[in-house]
Amino acid sequence: MANALPLQGIRVVNFGWVWAGPVVGQTLGFLGADVFKVESYARVDMTRNLPPFANGEPGPNRSLSNHACWAGNGSVSLNLKKPEAKKLVLELIAQSDVVIENFGPGVMDELGLDYETLKKAKEDIVMFSMPAAGLNGPLKNVRTYGLSLTSTTGLDSLVGYKGGGPIPVENAYSDPFAGIFGAFAILTALNHRDNSGQGQHVDFSQQEAIMQMVGPAYMDYVLNDRIGGPKGNEHPVAAAAPHGVFPCDGDDRWISIVAGNDAEWQQLVKAMDDPDWTMADEFATLDQRIAHIDDLHSKLAQYTANFGDHELSEKLQQFGVAATPVLNVADLYNDPHYKARNTYVEVTHPLDFQETIYGAYVKTSKTEADIKPGPTIGQDNERVLKGILGLSDARYDELVEQQVIY
Amino acid sequence: MSDGALAGIKVVDFGQVVSAPFCAKLFSDYGADVIKVELPEGDAARHMGPFPKDEPHVEKSGLFFVNNTNKRGVTCDVRTEAGKALFLRLLQWADVLIENNLPQQMKDWGLDYQSMAAVNDQLVVISITPFGQTGPYSAWNGYDLNAYHLSGASSRYCGRPGETPLEHGTFAADYFGAVSAATWGMAATYGRKNVGGGQQVDVSTAECIAAAFVGGQNIGGYAQDGKFDKRTGVGMPLGAPATIMPCKDGHVWMLALEPGQWSGLKDVMGNPEWAEMELFDDMFMRAQNADVIYPFIEEWTLQHGKMEIMEKCQAAGCPITAVFTVAEAAEHPHLSAREYFVDMEHPALGKLKNIGAPFKLPASPGGPTTAAPLLGQHNQEVYGSVLGLSETEITQLQSDGAI
Repeated sequence: MANALPLQGIRVVNFGWVWAGPVVGQTLGFLGADVFKVESYARVDMTRNLPPFANGEPGPNRSLSNHACWAGNGSVSLNLKKPEAKKLVLELIAQSDVVIENFGPGVMDELGLDYETLKKAKEDIVMFSMPAAGLNGPLKNVRTYGLSLTSTTGLDSLVGYKGGGPIPVENAYSDPFAGIFGAFAILTALNHRDNSGQGQHVDFSQQEAIMQMVGPAYMDYVLNDRIGGPKGNEHPVAAAAPHGVFPCDGDDRWISIVAGNDAEWQQLVKAMDDPDWTMADEFATLDQRIAHIDDLHSKLAQYTANFGDHELSEKLQQFGVAATPVLNVADLYNDPHYKARNTYVEVTHPLDFQETIYGAYVKTSKTEADIKPGPTIGQDNERVLKGILGLSDARYDELVEQQVIY
Repeated sequence: MSDGALAGIKVVDFGQVVSAPFCAKLFSDYGADVIKVELPEGDAARHMGPFPKDEPHVEKSGLFFVNNTNKRGVTCDVRTEAGKALFLRLLQWADVLIENNLPQQMKDWGLDYQSMAAVNDQLVVISITPFGQTGPYSAWNGYDLNAYHLSGASSRYCGRPGETPLEHGTFAADYFGAVSAATWGMAATYGRKNVGGGQQVDVSTAECIAAAFVGGQNIGGYAQDGKFDKRTGVGMPLGAPATIMPCKDGHVWMLALEPGQWSGLKDVMGNPEWAEMELFDDMFMRAQNADVIYPFIEEWTLQHGKMEIMEKCQAAGCPITAVFTVAEAAEHPHLSAREYFVDMEHPALGKLKNIGAPFKLPASPGGPTTAAPLLGQHNQEVYGSVLGLSETEITQLQSDGAI
């Protein structure tokens, strides 16, 4: 595991805020890039003040959720309202490969950090912008929150109980999705830079990235003029039955079960000790089971309710049937599988508290991701401003005094 | 060579249904040379639809069409000795393999990571499975739905309390895993010089969501305080209004939390008297009085159309959006103005629209241009020109049942 990380040597300046933008930087950071979030005490990101806090003590460097979502980013605190700070940022960009931002369209222009200006600082810079609906078009200034952005893609219209209205997803699935996706977009642009010597300004519309997930339902619309709606946990293109979530013994305990073909259905029947109802004609073939899925699911639910979720999952898996318990947050943390994979790791923060964040959510056989605690505001100031930009101690202190470094 | 951003990268896609094919499509749509290898019976997606008029046909699956653009397609039966040897030759040509077979399946075929790295130590192997290559559940069978519900996302965030937790109505875990795989896999490819060769990129779709979506905002608090939350069925339980509500012709995502947003919404609603009640003063109080305020707002939304509500509220500074149906998204002028959808032609499906590039690279544009391959469409071309096999050798492989 001594190998250098894949993105070692890539330097990133990250203006991203809240969730999606910081995740772009985090992803590149896990993979070895040196990522510096530019922020300051002049306007502290609201997610830095989200509870719960480390040891219950509030503070912008103690939000546990902020730290997990931002870990991997470094932090340089420059107050961009001061012209001197902007000059320093451009000097840093001149020595960087990538600039990330997730403001609305035009905000970087107002800050005097538009692509043309960045390009003057560094000819082959990759500038990555990820506004909600892209840099241009009639909806470019649309206001959304991460959790409602999905409503403009058709995705929200598909979530809910069968035959009912849409049920909201209660957090922004789109933020980490777009954040990780954004890191891929940056890698493609870096590859092009290495191929051609050319940088570019990537226009990453979160709406368009998320709508890729709607592909299967979109095709049903294109091919059959059919407009999909909520159908619970049934298969997205009606290709498997059973395909659902069923109650288990206990409070809010559930199991997910899928039989994707006749062989798996036969194994499920065997695991259940060949109950009579499974022999009915309407369950004989996959097509039949799909046609009678409501009946099938209600009969299966009567069976599953007799078992614990883990117990039944283990039992069905012994027969090769695809089944998992439906985990809640406590289950996740205590689950032996995630423990074995180090999905969550405890790290020591520079402010001397322990915090549990997620680690490398993808495993690489020859390299070990670089997992650091959530960044403290300005933690990399000296390394960047003195080390990379060469400020003298006296000049640095002066800029701190003037709240340029802030 | 293409002029796309990933020109020069050679990929073998040995995947089925959504996760690996979509991951490989991200490579092919941005200019990598991607060869899709299918068993003789074809990718399972070919048997899934949606099909025109719901009539199954191996060349007419919408699911296969949408996730396999810009790829060449070959058949290869890795279950035969000759087929396996042929597959390994393709891996010698490739920079990247993308696959989503269960770990035991790859072992059974003699295609575990070590055997593949032995023929090409520069190869990056991207393996996408529900549970990953290691850990107690790595031997389990599983699909998108199983992975999603093992991630904590449904119990925490989707469904009414006490009722069934919900998936998102699409292959949500497969897509999330595919994107994570493309990113980490592309980094491993881009950084091979740093790393000193290829490696295996082990993606558990469940784990990606359990970490980056659910873990981020829940796990630190639980680890420290032992407390956690579950789904409520309401968009945001702590602030209001913040949820999906019915309107005259569908639904809207009703959001007015900040003082400016709330006053904007009140203006659009015509400043009704009830909105001035003290119990609606701020977003927290409004949430505490959710059972009072939501019926008031609903009385208004039910009299108005979703697009009208969206337009007026947006103009008044509220982040309120219509819940677009798939058709409304597919026909939206904003997406057309950005040329998001593209026209394509497919030998069996004819002329049809497709979803275009997920992001825009002005200097090296991407997106689908050639339709998904027919089953075995490029056998001659790939085995002949790419691997340099003679006509006789190819015929022999066909009669051996390898192709």
